[in-house]
Amino acid sequence: MGAYVLRRLSYGIGVVFGVLFLLFILFFTVTKPDDIARRALGEKAPPEVIEQWKINHGYDRPLWPWQDWDDNLLFDHYERMLTFDFGLSDADDSPITERIASGVGPSLSLTVPLLVLGILVAIPLSLLVAFFRETYIDRMGVFLCVLAMSVSMLLYIIGAQFLIGKVLRWYPISGFDSNLLMLPRFLALPLIVGVLSGVGGDVRFYRTVFLEESSRDFVRTARAKGASEARIMTRHVLRNAMIPILTNVVLAIPFLFTGALLLEAFFGIPGLGSITVDAIAANDFSTLRTMVFIGSLLFILGQIATDLSYGLVDPRVRFE
Amino acid sequence: MRARSEAEGAGGRVGLLSLVIVCFVMSAFPSGCSNNPYPPTREGEKVLYSSFVDAPRTLDPARAYNTRAHAITGAVYDTLLKYHFLKRPLELIPGLAVSLPEKTELPDGRVRYRFELRRDLLFADDACFGLDRPGQRTREVVAADIAFQLARIADAEVGSPVIEPFSNIDGFQEFSRALTARREADPGFAARPVHEQYAELGGIPGVRTPSSHVLDVILHRPYPQIRYWFAMEFSTPVPWEAVEYYDGRGGRPRFDDHPVGTGPYVLSEYSKRSRYVLERSKNWYGVRHPEWKAPAATYPSEGEEEDRLAGRLDYAGRTLPFIDRVEVRREKESIPRFNKFLQGYYDASGIIKESFDKVVQEDALSPEMKARGIALEKAVSPDVFYIGFNFDDPVVGRAGGERSRKLRQAMSRVIDVEEFTRVFNNGRGVPAQSPIPPGIYGYDPDYENPARRVDLERAKQLMVEAGYPGGIDPETGEALRLTFDSADTSSAGLTKVQFYVSAWKRLGIDVRVEATNYNQFLEKLRNGAHQVFESGWVADYPDPENFLFLLWSQMGKSKFGGPNATNFSNARFDELFVSMKTRENGPRRMAEIREMLRILEHERPWIELFHREEYSLYHGWVRNVKPMGISMPTYQYRDLDPVLRAQRRREWNEPIVWPAWVLLGAAVLVVLPGIRTYLKERQ
Repeated sequence: MGAYVLRRLSYGIGVVFGVLFLLFILFFTVTKPDDIARRALGEKAPPEVIEQWKINHGYDRPLWPWQDWDDNLLFDHYERMLTFDFGLSDADDSPITERIASGVGPSLSLTVPLLVLGILVAIPLSLLVAFFRETYIDRMGVFLCVLAMSVSMLLYIIGAQFLIGKVLRWYPISGFDSNLLMLPRFLALPLIVGVLSGVGGDVRFYRTVFLEESSRDFVRTARAKGASEARIMTRHVLRNAMIPILTNVVLAIPFLFTGALLLEAFFGIPGLGSITVDAIAANDFSTLRTMVFIGSLLFILGQIATDLSYGLVDPRVRFE
Repeated sequence: MRARSEAEGAGGRVGLLSLVIVCFVMSAFPSGCSNNPYPPTREGEKVLYSSFVDAPRTLDPARAYNTRAHAITGAVYDTLLKYHFLKRPLELIPGLAVSLPEKTELPDGRVRYRFELRRDLLFADDACFGLDRPGQRTREVVAADIAFQLARIADAEVGSPVIEPFSNIDGFQEFSRALTARREADPGFAARPVHEQYAELGGIPGVRTPSSHVLDVILHRPYPQIRYWFAMEFSTPVPWEAVEYYDGRGGRPRFDDHPVGTGPYVLSEYSKRSRYVLERSKNWYGVRHPEWKAPAATYPSEGEEEDRLAGRLDYAGRTLPFIDRVEVRREKESIPRFNKFLQGYYDASGIIKESFDKVVQEDALSPEMKARGIALEKAVSPDVFYIGFNFDDPVVGRAGGERSRKLRQAMSRVIDVEEFTRVFNNGRGVPAQSPIPPGIYGYDPDYENPARRVDLERAKQLMVEAGYPGGIDPETGEALRLTFDSADTSSAGLTKVQFYVSAWKRLGIDVRVEATNYNQFLEKLRNGAHQVFESGWVADYPDPENFLFLLWSQMGKSKFGGPNATNFSNARFDELFVSMKTRENGPRRMAEIREMLRILEHERPWIELFHREEYSLYHGWVRNVKPMGISMPTYQYRDLDPVLRAQRRREWNEPIVWPAWVLLGAAVLVVLPGIRTYLKERQ
């Protein structure tokens, strides 16, 4: 297993290098250091202040190693990321580690309940439609799932803000408050939207898994032994469908830390997702590369963790 | 029987699971259904609720130079001079200074402004004052604190964007250069606290403190506009202790994020990504010394007739401030922000484009808005937007002589700004007749620029006189081709530019649009590689000099790197500008301005477009609202009625719960028959 983990990690390092290179190329193809400085300092900033800003932030150096092998932005970019020296934000000079630390709490307060609620809603619902397979409940369930999947997230957000926040006045339209008494009030609407927008795909996926498991020999045997349908679904089908469910859930865990981009941006939640959105809008390369780097690291670690977790739920799985 | 019981068991488990989910969801929301984003405990307090889109980059008063930052720095930092809240055009009044500065013309041609600081002014309470006196929370403001801040502006490492106007101070640039050179030569010096570095160099020669409460600012040439810079936070007193203490180390914030000032409010909470809170400062001189009746700490008793009619003079003579706390929350999206305003959760708002027709009808508030007690305030921004011609260009510039002049005049006569603002800006915007916007000395509401009167026939005639009949360039035999440079690459921006292009097409001119990003656009202007372009200018201070200098030859972009992107150069205009610049307001200054405008009518370096018009909405419980035009918060003048606000919020936000029961009922109705059918089948 150790060799397997090492091999996967080495692949992962290659992927991270590639991601960082791609980000660097894409960013500096459309943005010049002058654009970053101008964005940070404003339109009225005189040229000498722009130049001083570039010197202070290291953007006075050439981009590529062939322009200056010893001192260039590309090598600096790799050095900083690989040593976890994230530095200061280009937008406001605040330490990026502090920004990330301040965003983790709000992000997790949204994404963890979202994941748990999503599972709690999707699995029972998919068990229900699989339980009532070939009935109108199943057909209606599938229809609603396809409908839910077809609607854009933005429409859910705007629709929920209008209907639930403005017309029905159940919850605040947007905002965030870390006060524990106020927090649920602000999270209600993004959670409803998050669950609604994700439940269609999840139910369809889990339903397929459950139906596939329902047609297996061990289910037929259980039925022949007189086990009830409910017992079959919950004890036999659900347990044997754990690998795909686990894959889905474990893969989602890294993204809990990177936040929910759209939900955070539109509901005004100051989490890590909105840090990324803000960094893109502000030409803040330092913050953007940090978020991309952390995101790619978490994704790779999540993939490895998923593979390893198969062994926990299915002893037949061997790592070679 | 067994099958039935198992099926019932299954149904029961499903039901149990549903119940668990419902309980989970319900327990997650102990505060119950309410769209109120604020804790109920604050209902009766005088808290002003507002919003911001993005936090400012810095709150350092030497560097903060935008409206977002001024919303905080303007409340936290006080200045020697202030603007009268009600009088228009804006008028300077004493702030921290006892009176307006005393001006003395020195024999060597230099000019001295003497400010006398009020006694017993205190900084807001802060831990930084314990730096050299443990336990101390504040100290008295002295003239040296202003001298320190002016030295910070000169310090290249601070990166202040306003070095240029302060360079009129005697020895300002020399001090700046000496500081940089000494730091490079002596690392030991560079490592010392900045206030010690400034002191060792003797400070700026033109900034003197003859006594602890007197500040002399000596200019090496006349520049009366310097007074306006002393009404801006750039020149606020800054304690050296704050700059040294808030260095971002040891868990302390940076000075950029932790202002320590002398203003009516203190920044008690600052989270750039969610909210900030301003609370009334107990150390502000208006609070500590109401008996002074200081002009900037007392509600004005003079104003305009419209102020009397609007009840803005009802508070005359009362001590400021009226509001205890300002809570500003981050709202990035405009639609939720506007909806929260309509729900009563924000006290003021702009009008979003999507709802403009619902809110404003026939240039007044809609009946629906009036019924909610909402008031509309309109204010023309002290800015100007224009289309410029590069005078270094052979086709549209000075080299073409009369021919180019006629071409510019023709192009000027076909741009219909009223139509433009109607199409693109809901009619918001005052057509500009000259560079000077309303509210600035020199603006004449009756003045109509003949070159801006839309007249297609006259424009066509001018094209003939210019040698381009029907827009045909005789050299090529084809339509005259010009290039329009734009710094807006968005589709909305390009649609706007297309409006101008279509107008010029009616003259037969073929205008090609080159849209680039802002830096590339600036690069083109710097290199003179532009022909026709669009730009704008927002006032730093309310003086015509701050607009007419945009056409002064010494501000030419190509030669001097200044903001005159047209590179317009006219000897008479320059002569008048230099004279007008240093003259006090009065008939002679007005006459000079009029002559300058006549030159512009004829020469047409610009096609003046519009001055922006801001529409703001306020709830009926908010009092004393009068936009200042320039970037300056007026929280200390505002008042509100929290009881009325709480009442309205309750009326407007009663939750509608019946759809929840309908949804629940529908869910039961859908699932129940299925369960029944299944159970029957199992039996």
